[in-house]
Amino acid sequence: MTTRRLFLKSSLATAGAASALSWLPHGRVLAADTSGYRALVCVFLVGGMDNFDTVIPYDTLSYDRYAEIRAPLLANYAAAGVTSRLRNNLRVLSPINSATFAGRQFALPAELSPIADLFDSGAAAIVGNVGPLVQEATRTELEADPTLLPPRLYSHNDQQSVWQSLEPEGSRFGWGGRFADTMNNAGANDIFAFSAITPGGNNVFLSGEGVQPYQVGSFESTTEHLLLSDTSPLNDQSKQAFRALIAANSRRLDNILERDVDAIQADALATNEAFSGAIANVADPLATDFPDTSIGRQLKTVADTINARSQLGASRQIFYVRQGGYDTHSSQARDLPRLHTQLAEGLAAFYQATQDMGVGLDVVTFTASDFGRTLAINGDGTDHGWGGHHFVIGDSVRGQRIYGTIPPADFDHALDDGGGRLIPSVSVQQYAGTMGSWFGLTSSERRGALPGSDNFAEETLTFL
Amino acid sequence: MRNSFVVMFIAALFSNGCRSDVEAPPDEAAAPSPPTFTSSAPSTATPTVLTEGTSDADQLVGSSANDIILGLGGADSLSGGDGDDLLIGDGFALSPQTEEEANRFLQQATFGPDPDEINAMMGQSYEDWITAQFAVTPTLILPAMLAEFNGTTLQLTGEPGRPKYEAINAASDAQWLAMLAGEDQLRQRVAFALSQILVISHRVPNALADHQDMVAAYMDVLIDGAFGNYRDLLEEVTYSPAMAIYLTYLRNRPEDPDTGQMPDENYAREIMQLFSIGLIALNPDGTPKQAGGSGSAIEVYTNDDVTGLAKVFTGLSYDSSDFDDVVAFENFYRRLRMYEDFHSPAEKTFLGTVIPAGTSGAASIDLALDALIDHPNTAPFVSKQLIQRLVTSNPTPAYVARVSQAFRTGYYRTLLGTQFGDGRPGDMKATIAAILLDDEARDSVAADNPAFGRVREPIMRWVHWARAFEAPAFEPEKHYIMVDASAPSDLGQHPFKSPSVFNFFRPGYVAPGTESAAAGMVAPELQITNASSIVGYANVISLYALGRPQRFANFDPTSFVAPYTDQLAIANDIDALLDNLDLLLTHGTLSDETRDLIADFLNAAPYNSNDVQASNKLRVQLAVIAIMTSPDYLVQR
Repeated sequence: MTTRRLFLKSSLATAGAASALSWLPHGRVLAADTSGYRALVCVFLVGGMDNFDTVIPYDTLSYDRYAEIRAPLLANYAAAGVTSRLRNNLRVLSPINSATFAGRQFALPAELSPIADLFDSGAAAIVGNVGPLVQEATRTELEADPTLLPPRLYSHNDQQSVWQSLEPEGSRFGWGGRFADTMNNAGANDIFAFSAITPGGNNVFLSGEGVQPYQVGSFESTTEHLLLSDTSPLNDQSKQAFRALIAANSRRLDNILERDVDAIQADALATNEAFSGAIANVADPLATDFPDTSIGRQLKTVADTINARSQLGASRQIFYVRQGGYDTHSSQARDLPRLHTQLAEGLAAFYQATQDMGVGLDVVTFTASDFGRTLAINGDGTDHGWGGHHFVIGDSVRGQRIYGTIPPADFDHALDDGGGRLIPSVSVQQYAGTMGSWFGLTSSERRGALPGSDNFAEETLTFL
Repeated sequence: MRNSFVVMFIAALFSNGCRSDVEAPPDEAAAPSPPTFTSSAPSTATPTVLTEGTSDADQLVGSSANDIILGLGGADSLSGGDGDDLLIGDGFALSPQTEEEANRFLQQATFGPDPDEINAMMGQSYEDWITAQFAVTPTLILPAMLAEFNGTTLQLTGEPGRPKYEAINAASDAQWLAMLAGEDQLRQRVAFALSQILVISHRVPNALADHQDMVAAYMDVLIDGAFGNYRDLLEEVTYSPAMAIYLTYLRNRPEDPDTGQMPDENYAREIMQLFSIGLIALNPDGTPKQAGGSGSAIEVYTNDDVTGLAKVFTGLSYDSSDFDDVVAFENFYRRLRMYEDFHSPAEKTFLGTVIPAGTSGAASIDLALDALIDHPNTAPFVSKQLIQRLVTSNPTPAYVARVSQAFRTGYYRTLLGTQFGDGRPGDMKATIAAILLDDEARDSVAADNPAFGRVREPIMRWVHWARAFEAPAFEPEKHYIMVDASAPSDLGQHPFKSPSVFNFFRPGYVAPGTESAAAGMVAPELQITNASSIVGYANVISLYALGRPQRFANFDPTSFVAPYTDQLAIANDIDALLDNLDLLLTHGTLSDETRDLIADFLNAAPYNSNDVQASNKLRVQLAVIAIMTSPDYLVQR
């Protein structure tokens, strides 16, 4: 990592990224660990992935009850010629901590076989029943005191925001952005803008006080102004003049939104050119094959960016990719298997890329989603739930285990919020906090980035 | 001689316009409140409406300090006032006093005027223009499509279940042309605004992509309903096949206690959250009500309300002979039918409304939609979003309250005595008039407030270019970006093709790391403004301005290539050229600094005096690009 610091930040950032990030604890003695290289990759499953149709009960008793409740959906699968939910076609898991589940067993559908492979080899873990929680509370306590419920439960946009930033829509800072801010503040990255990268579109997850999510398309596409490119009608002198116009970033504009747009445009020019310049210097481009799907392309961009980490001067990076389509109110039998296939193939290719680059121990990939779904069927689909099951992948993960809980696929148990919607066992703070510690944050930095962490007895889990 | 009088403008005594809050500590609720504009008049005051006679002064004799006078025109009419007068700004005239003002109004009310339309505006009052627009024949989408494609080719081809190639985007093609060239500009503009509230999407691979017939029928629901009533809109939307497919209640069946099956809740949730009452309790001025003491917002519906309302939307299917069947092509675009045998017979409880057991499906939907339109949240929730789509992202609470009142009462009366609306709650004409004729929309003082305005939507920037420069609008199907402009490397937005029912951007979006965020403002359109998309837009506008649009084979080379006749005539004179473009594009608001930078740019641009024609053409094109990528243009104010 070079010692020269290129400090690209928006002149309109509300706080200098190098100092006084308002939530960082004062007078701290220990600083974040910035040694080596670490990356977190958030794979956001937009719409709410059905946990009951992802981690499927396998022991006979549990499977039969699940099949009874979900009969209409299983009939849809049969009608569509999809056999992956039949018990003997399921990919049963053998977690090292199976004893915790007292005879219950779990499986993944065949479409998720690549993830099952990673699980079996110890490179992946399942974290069961994760979701937003204000504090640990039982069903009885929640019924008695609705203020213990997270805000705006079951609303897509709000729950996406709560997962990403612990606050409903309108929130300004996500925990990924706060992790990046911490690392930038500790000197982990030459260029702050490259610490938080999104092939997955705009998101609050990577929004910090000093850092904004930097949008990157595929490495083959360009974000260069036509007028500054080789096909421009301009000569060099006029290109400079156009550049001066775009990069103006003027405080003399007397309208706030104009100043914002001006700053965004000026920053975009500087950041895009720095990024293009850096990746042009990569000596050995990545050769790993990725599936040509939306999620596959996004993960390829992440892999290519990690491959360029030294040219980008980065030692701590967070990424955001998204896969849409999980809001399976209807046509779940048609849609979910296809989504699972694409997800698993993308994640497997990305894991392979980390092996090819020799960064297997340095990259942790995790899924997240608006919420899980109801156990009850609405005909040909399911409705919005709450807790959901998620995957964490990487050589640093203590894999082949199921953390959290997998509540029964039944009604009226202690974690049933109605219709089989699950009251989470693991909070977003605990899930994210585990990753934050691994990423290098100190305890106090982690608590600052994830308010409410201290409402839980175990602030982090042991999957990393 | 003028009598003295006290003039109080509803739009207010502006403070410095923005709070200089530091960023909130992490455990504080981050929902921003609107900028602290303080109104000099309470928002509940009822204006004394004075009709304009031959002499302003005569009408105002005897007016008292409590009168609030709308639309007093120009500084001249205030001369002779005494020291007791509260003079705040110039007020606004009832008709445009300059071409800049005319253009400014038309940029709120249309997709952007050409020079003739600006001129035509000069002769009339704003309300007369609106009245005339209310009478223009609507440009509908479906009838022409049905005429061009017979039923089968619109929906099916030799390839089972796939539309014929030419039909594959037919609704989208027709919709572009309606926006670009329809005479019913105000109607199309309002329909476009509605399409971002009452959202459907036919973005691939959504099921609607294969049903341009349904999409076109839905577009016409919004076009037809734009000047009708919001309650009727909710009903036609509910009974549209497109919405039933998009929000998954087509053939929604009732609850089955034996199997535990429940009705699909998707539409019940979104019709409340997005189409009518929103998520949190609102005051009539759009500000959130606060739970006593704690200061936190009050959620306006619970999950029980959703499950109760979900039962209402059961039993709807195609207008066929059978609940589960489609027997004729027309079934796909005709209004849905309620099949009472498949409607929930249970009692349906939601939002304090109880629909007795055994109530028919048609009656249940009626009662449910009545409950939604009557809910106190609906007027401010819908009104504020319409203001955001047309005029400004951060209206003052007082402005929202006035528009919300028009929506709720169904009436809006102007200073000249024109009355819009028929008195039913949800009246769109009253609401639209209230938005466009309000002091806050018309007054140049309001426009100068640093927090005023909205970031222009990328679609509207490009359509504005095409209309202002009279680029021939035909053959949209041959243009790459008119097939799907929603990639960030294009416009980042495409009508009726958003990624979800949440549109391309949220009305409450706060842009992280920006000055607007620090000032407590929302900036919806910034949600799609980033390092990729801002360059994507610049490149689209560059290609089109340079006459090099990306097109498919066998295109007509004149389509969407602007002639720039007026500009070419004056291109020898950079100042004159910039004056012309400043009037046409930024209605006179191009800042001095931006203008100087653009002049430098144009002076540096290649210019061959041996080929003046080509050089001038390039100069004009570059000037257009430079202005249309400037922050002065990118924000509509």
